[in-house]
Amino acid sequence: METTIQVLAAFLFALGLLTVMVRRNTIIILMGIEMMLNAANLSLVGFAQYLSQVDGQIQVFFTITIAAAESAIGLSILVNLYRHFNSIKTENAATLKG
Amino acid sequence: MDNLDFLNCVITILGIFAGLSGLVLLFSKQPLTCALGLLGVLIFTAGIYGMIGEHFIATIQLVVYAGAIMVLFIFSIMLFNIKHDGEKFDWKSPFFVVSLLLVGVIFTLLARTVLQSFDMPVIESQRGIFTRSMIAELGGNSQVLAHSLFTQHFISFEAISLALLIALVGAVVLAKRKFD
Repeated sequence: METTIQVLAAFLFALGLLTVMVRRNTIIILMGIEMMLNAANLSLVGFAQYLSQVDGQIQVFFTITIAAAESAIGLSILVNLYRHFNSIKTENAATLKG
Repeated sequence: MDNLDFLNCVITILGIFAGLSGLVLLFSKQPLTCALGLLGVLIFTAGIYGMIGEHFIATIQLVVYAGAIMVLFIFSIMLFNIKHDGEKFDWKSPFFVVSLLLVGVIFTLLARTVLQSFDMPVIESQRGIFTRSMIAELGGNSQVLAHSLFTQHFISFEAISLALLIALVGAVVLAKRKFD
């Protein structure tokens, strides 16, 4: 059971990383980031269960909170990106001129 | 635990479905299908949290992650009217193959390091006292978590509330229309 959870967490992290690297739609990149955070949470929870501790679960509580705040900020940045370049594809956001 | 095989079986099934939902997120062309794939990952991992006895974290995951963050994403897809990408992604291009190889290396190293750590004595020495019977005796998972959060980790708790306030102000400032 413990090895299943850890392998699943590593697999979800790898999928999230591949999503961020390969996809060219900004909102799907943000979704990949959320999946990476979720995979790290799963690993923490798996070890907290294996070692019969509670500290891992408290860390997951804080990580979920910070992930919520970060996704709100990420979507605000997406709004600004759309206003500036009139598109959300990463190919259009090719200049640093603001 | 007396029904350990059943637990293992259910967690494996939930894990397979979570992996399949992750693949839907990676390979789908419509953004809304990707959002549903992410929602599937979040719900199946909440199921895994519930099965291993961490009921508070499972509830928080469903309420915050699957309930608030996914709603934000789906609202953004609706408001920006994001349709599917017109051109096909070239799955045979060298860029994708190299990315796949690199991510495969990262996955192998991560999984191997974590699985090797199960035998180390330094990990065994960190074993705590909160087994499932102890948690049930102390009044449940929420009670144990709340006691630990408000006595041992209360500074982090106050700092998190401050961080949420800053994120709220930041999101409003970043998204408001600039009047020149």
